[in-house]
Amino acid sequence: MDVYCSNNVLQARRTVEQLRLETELQRIKISAAAEQIVQYCQEHRRADPLLTGIAASSNPFKDKKTCVLL
Amino acid sequence: MGEMEQLRKEAESLKDEITAARKAVQDLTLQDHVAGTAVVGRVQLKTRKTLRGHLAKIYAMHWGTDSKLCVSASQDGKLIVWDSYSTNKVHAIPLKSSWVMTCSYAPSGNMVACGGLDNMCSIYNLKGKDGNVKVMRELAAHTGYLSCCRFLSDTEIITSSGDCTCLLWDIETGTEKTVFAGHLGDCMSLAVSPDFNTFISGACDFTAKLWDIREGQCRQTFGGHESDINAIGFFPNGNAVITGSDDASCKLYDLRSDQELITYQDSSIMCGVTSIAPSLSGRLILAGYDDFNCNIWDSLKAERVGVLSGHDNRVSCIGVTPDGMACCTGSWDSFLKIWN
Repeated sequence: MDVYCSNNVLQARRTVEQLRLETELQRIKISAAAEQIVQYCQEHRRADPLLTGIAASSNPFKDKKTCVLL
Repeated sequence: MGEMEQLRKEAESLKDEITAARKAVQDLTLQDHVAGTAVVGRVQLKTRKTLRGHLAKIYAMHWGTDSKLCVSASQDGKLIVWDSYSTNKVHAIPLKSSWVMTCSYAPSGNMVACGGLDNMCSIYNLKGKDGNVKVMRELAAHTGYLSCCRFLSDTEIITSSGDCTCLLWDIETGTEKTVFAGHLGDCMSLAVSPDFNTFISGACDFTAKLWDIREGQCRQTFGGHESDINAIGFFPNGNAVITGSDDASCKLYDLRSDQELITYQDSSIMCGVTSIAPSLSGRLILAGYDDFNCNIWDSLKAERVGVLSGHDNRVSCIGVTPDGMACCTGSWDSFLKIWN
């Protein structure tokens, strides 16, 4: 058996080993997974500036206009 | 060739087992779950700053943890560290190789890294004693281009490469600690989990893989995309992954149910996704595309709720500040724009 063949076998063995590992994963129900994602979005909604908008006075990227009292 | 045929059959049977196990937990879809939730209102972000200075295509950008400084890499052969509030250039670092494809800011703010067609990851010390920024280490071991790099700390960095592997490096010794092999195509992008225990990689074999950093093992593989995955990121809670692909779609994969929950696509979008980032709460997903725009998606309802137009060429990179205050887009038009 030449080197090319045995490399393929090695590769195939590794693939099977990896797949075996992945089959053993404990999976949770999508309803539970979806609930967690939705909950996270809800809980952090008010603290998400791109979602809520940012007041000009607290926006570090907006140039502040200064008022001068004459 | 008896063993090959046997292994092939076993692989197919294991793949069927995984498909069945994934189906077994499909008691509901994400769409069902959010049927009663309203789509977020139209998101209209404005360009607040334009960072001008690069003389060629920008390929990558990364925010520092202070949400103020960021680093960008351009094929003009420079890494620029910007103060995004003032638009001042804090450092302009000339590179040995101008074919740079990625850059990263260390969480400490002490270092930046970059790499590309030189197959190396170069680490630069920003806090050198004499004030000059110098190359601290050149991490060489990949046999293909460096597509992405992310610091775990000042002593460890993870890189992804066109040689189909990812590597964990010890920066002090300049040597590889762990090889993450398994992808069957160029690794294009990587992202580290919020708890720093795992990372995900997206590749040209159309899959995303979740890796255990300490064990060096691939824990999960996610398929579904019909072309190269160019961009990848973690959903902020660390339990889901977002990907962007040349197939013009983005996907959300949940780690614990081990499958795709939702696809973000529109028949009017026919070009590849180059970059992706979630907003702080995860409700918005910002994605950069080849058609010069960036689309903003409602992550739960899979509807487009905003567009960032302003670049005159492909949006190659995108990043949301750690404090969620702004998004930065980098483009082949040589400019970076800060939006909020």
